[in-house]
Amino acid sequence: MSSNTITLPGQDLGPISSNTVGAGTHIYGDHLFASIAGPVHTTTLQAPSKVPSTLSITRPTGALLLPEVGTAVLGRVTRTNPRQANFSILALGSTGDVVLAEPLPAIIRQQDIRLTEIDKVTVAGSFRVGDVVKGVVISLGDERAYFASTARDELGVVMAVSEGGNRMVPISWREFEEVGGTGKKEARKVAKVV
Amino acid sequence: MQMDRRRLNAPPGGTTPPVFAAPPDTKLHRPTRTRKPDEHRKLFLRTGIVPSASGSAYYEIPPQEPQPTGLLVPQRSSLKITCTVHGPRPLPRNAAFSPNLLLSAHVKFAPFATQNRRGYVRDASERDLGAHLETALRGVVIGERFPKSGCEVVLTILEGEEDRWEADGAEVKGGGWGIMTVLAGCITAASAALVDAGIDCVDLISGGVAAVKDAGRHGGQEGRAVVLDPAPSEHDGEIMAACVVGYLQSRDEVTEMWMKGDAGAQVQTLIDEAVKAASLVRAVLAEAVKDGVQAKIGEGEDDAAMTGSAKEGKGKSKETRNRTDAPIPLLAP
Repeated sequence: MSSNTITLPGQDLGPISSNTVGAGTHIYGDHLFASIAGPVHTTTLQAPSKVPSTLSITRPTGALLLPEVGTAVLGRVTRTNPRQANFSILALGSTGDVVLAEPLPAIIRQQDIRLTEIDKVTVAGSFRVGDVVKGVVISLGDERAYFASTARDELGVVMAVSEGGNRMVPISWREFEEVGGTGKKEARKVAKVV
Repeated sequence: MQMDRRRLNAPPGGTTPPVFAAPPDTKLHRPTRTRKPDEHRKLFLRTGIVPSASGSAYYEIPPQEPQPTGLLVPQRSSLKITCTVHGPRPLPRNAAFSPNLLLSAHVKFAPFATQNRRGYVRDASERDLGAHLETALRGVVIGERFPKSGCEVVLTILEGEEDRWEADGAEVKGGGWGIMTVLAGCITAASAALVDAGIDCVDLISGGVAAVKDAGRHGGQEGRAVVLDPAPSEHDGEIMAACVVGYLQSRDEVTEMWMKGDAGAQVQTLIDEAVKAASLVRAVLAEAVKDGVQAKIGEGEDDAAMTGSAKEGKGKSKETRNRTDAPIPLLAP
């Protein structure tokens, strides 16, 4: 449920007893105030729940400016190591809804590539430089990079180019096949198409 | 004075602007303040003018009366400020981890902004303005929502308030009061741009300026009076003290205060008048921000509608949404 009126930062949204703080709002004293300019959305839980409804405000350009823990991200692999793959986050959201103005650096560690048999996984057999990867942010990391993980079925390499430079299509959870050219298969950690 | 090594520099002694003689049958009148002491000049403020930046705003105090024809000397000063916000963007590689947003504010006068040409390199007064602006904005941005990021607020002053009124080579009393009005304008413009960028703020901060003028010098009423929104060209030589505040209206808080001169016993009145000026400016700021957000929402809806029907025709040109060209809220007295 959302209203059509635009609230401005600093506008009083009511006491915190009747509304919970959501995205784009903050608490001052015992009242809820808006932090950004935009329409207010109210999300109410199901009837038996006694939790008051959550007020949140969305930006017109997109919900997020920076990834948080649990945000799905899309990016391109820039470097690979035996222990980790570096990739630069280009867009937020599982379908890349919010394109970032500046790419953010992120790392996928070897143990976060897969859910099972994580000691046997090799980074070179999961990612190559230039692959487009869908991952989820698991930590803000250090000053250099966010930490991301592809340890779910629907996460992993989304688009890849073969060594010969041809387009590839996924054929299983761990292989891409070249289209045209030699038709060779290459090993990747493939994202399940949903 | 440091010479800028990358450019061909002007003569080191500075340049003097041309002084125009008045046409023989024209009488030049020094502009005087015709508004009431608690009346603000009309403002123009619009956001979203720079599409490539995260947020942007343009602030102008236009000349309040039309320029008399036949004269090249500007009879009224005006102030034009443009502000762009870039961020939140990742910090440089070697920067330390920061759990809060690292805000940096830069103010620069364009070389053509004032009568005496400014250099391309920031000088001390511009750095000072940047420091004051950063103090004002620091109190209003919620930094902990943007870890490991930086935000840069860049202001360019395209036309600055003149300290003096020049005609017929009149004597300059000066005093450097124009920079106070510039800072007030910078605070307001930066606030609009930050909200346009979608950065979490505690409130809308507005800049207000007031001055103590001593009317006794030029004849007229005796004694000192406090006026808000002084235009230094109108009060040449009369201003004794001035104060700029960055004010949050919904919290009734002042995040930044800069006072110059000797206000004597009227210090409290001076600050109160400056806060009043900031409250008047906030009304314009709120309207401008609201219009900006509505235009953005409208563009978002147009885009969604376009992508829905884009499959029908090839080479469909993107319809640009025209915002109404009616000037947004000129502050009514």
